[in-house]
Amino acid sequence: MKTEDLIEVLARGDDAPAKRKVWPRIAFALAVGLLLGVGLLLTFFSIRPDIGAARMMVMMKAGFAAMAAGVSLPLLMRLSRPGRATGWRVAAIFGFLALCAVVTAIALMGGDPSTRMQAWMGGPFPWCIVIIPILAAPTAALLGWLVRDLAPTRLTMTGASLGAVSGGVGAMVYAMYCPVDSVAFVATWYAVSIALCAVIGAVLGARLLRW
Amino acid sequence: MIEAEAELKALMLRGLSGDAGAHRAFLTAVSGNLRAFFRSRMRGAPEDAEDLLQETLIAIHTRRDSYDPSYPVTAWIYAIARYRMIDHWRRRGRRGEHIPVEDAPELFTAAEDVAVDAKRDVARLLAMLPQKQRDSIRLVKLEGVSVKDAAAQTGLTESDVKISTHRGMKTLMRLMAEAEA
Repeated sequence: MKTEDLIEVLARGDDAPAKRKVWPRIAFALAVGLLLGVGLLLTFFSIRPDIGAARMMVMMKAGFAAMAAGVSLPLLMRLSRPGRATGWRVAAIFGFLALCAVVTAIALMGGDPSTRMQAWMGGPFPWCIVIIPILAAPTAALLGWLVRDLAPTRLTMTGASLGAVSGGVGAMVYAMYCPVDSVAFVATWYAVSIALCAVIGAVLGARLLRW
Repeated sequence: MIEAEAELKALMLRGLSGDAGAHRAFLTAVSGNLRAFFRSRMRGAPEDAEDLLQETLIAIHTRRDSYDPSYPVTAWIYAIARYRMIDHWRRRGRRGEHIPVEDAPELFTAAEDVAVDAKRDVARLLAMLPQKQRDSIRLVKLEGVSVKDAAAQTGLTESDVKISTHRGMKTLMRLMAEAEA
């Protein structure tokens, strides 16, 4: 078929796609992803037994995770459709990371030097870097399915921001399980876990977001 | 460049609101720019450039709803053209040369209206679509039957015909990409 004829075919007939709003669908994906994450947590892990007494800390940690997701979401929204400059949205994410570093430093300096390492590492190994990506997976799958349909053109960047948003949601769920309440631990290892989700998202996004 | 933006945007918006003539004019104007752009990037393979052009035109057509009118339409077209070209190279196992992310002007400085034959035949690929999509496209897009009549002929609902046509065009673009050697 000649290009000229193809244009005729494309222009003929009424197949203009229905206008669909993006935000409600993203919000739906985030809500369902969060619930599925909680489902995973209940199935394979557990909620910390002292959640009643520790609810303030759990809320703070979940709030931190929600902030990480919230600061990455504008970049994802921007990249999900073709030809829109990212502007301040990348800088916002790095600003948040810098804030995490400052908070960690202040928290560690204020603490007792003998327990500093314990406060920072939380224990022998920060398991959140394994568990948060697992809890983020349902959100990532839902967002990926949605975003792919919006025709993203910079797949690695889109995947990275999608991973960061999902990681933030995963970390919100993880906050219900996580037994470590030190500020330095959360500002470091939650951020590292979410960054890891962004890296996984970048690698997978380049393959799976193709349209 | 600035004139191209204003002119293309006007056509695009009219096309989106259902003006088929404006949409045709839009696709025709864009195809001139895209042909020159792809040919300059794929020197010595004008048929490949034509294939890529057809694939990109279908992408532009089926993804019209991804255009956000508060941004330049030239940047939107460029982003899609750049993406289709990178995808084309990736399928061929090449990393490809570097194409800047935001460099739309180059695309709209030249136009080439003399087509060569594409290597793939879109009409042949159409036959590979699932029946519902194939029938909807054949009636609505090839024979120019109205959606209402197409629905009556196929026994589908009108919205089903529209969705099948739209999905079929998307599938067609994927088939074009995959059919490439």
